[in-house]
Amino acid sequence: MSDLQETAARQDRLTTSMNVDRANRTGEEQLTLRSQISDLAMVPPWVEHLASHYGISEETQYAMNLCLEEVLSNIIRHGYSNNPDCRIIVRYQSSQDKSSLLVVDDEAPLFNPLAADEMPVEDTLSGTRIGGLGIRLLRSFATRLEYEPTPAGNRLSMGFPAAR
Amino acid sequence: MEMAIESLAGDVTKVVFNGRFDIAGAESVDLKMNVIAGSKKLVLIDMQKVSFLGSMGLRTIVSAARTVKGRGGKIAVYGPDAEVEKVLTMSGVNTLVPIHHDLQSAIASLQ
Repeated sequence: MSDLQETAARQDRLTTSMNVDRANRTGEEQLTLRSQISDLAMVPPWVEHLASHYGISEETQYAMNLCLEEVLSNIIRHGYSNNPDCRIIVRYQSSQDKSSLLVVDDEAPLFNPLAADEMPVEDTLSGTRIGGLGIRLLRSFATRLEYEPTPAGNRLSMGFPAAR
Repeated sequence: MEMAIESLAGDVTKVVFNGRFDIAGAESVDLKMNVIAGSKKLVLIDMQKVSFLGSMGLRTIVSAARTVKGRGGKIAVYGPDAEVEKVLTMSGVNTLVPIHHDLQSAIASLQ
């Protein structure tokens, strides 16, 4: 696939829902990713677009990028076991009170990341593996976290503070 | 992400990161950072020009800290901006790798 085709294919996956109230800057937008780490490069520009469109603060923008990177990379590497042909759908919802919600849907085997142990940092230094930092970051940077299994896979909802 | 290495007085090795320390950033420096951590005893990580720190970047730092400390060395972080520092403190990584905003005190902490 040429660079041009690749760009076009990526833009095809950037879809905006019909339910956008421009006056109140509320609405819902969607980003569909392939289960490939390289697709994560699409996330920061998408978050930047959301930030400019819905008036999201830089701090919240940072938190959204941080949480999305963690959640999406875990789905790709663990949920889909690096199978590159699966998909992940990220939906953004802005509400009247200007708070933001990111909903991540996958079609991977059931896994509740919120039930995973938050490993002490000391163990990450002395232990044989480095992990457990991710869930600690999610709990620190998202104001609300909810998990639910879906008929197709998993859904993780992450709330963020009101925009400026 | 760019990574530059400087030798300072007192046998301190300064590693300067520049850019986004996301998954791609971490992948681009992990190998070089492993070499530094495996061969140097006093390591100062300059984060002044890091605009974003994600969990993979954190893992790079924790991994380097584990290696350096395991070899009896010392490691510190210098100059993160407010958001990067928040990631370091919220994750608890600051308890393993002290954060400094003054270069001289950062170097002194390694001696």
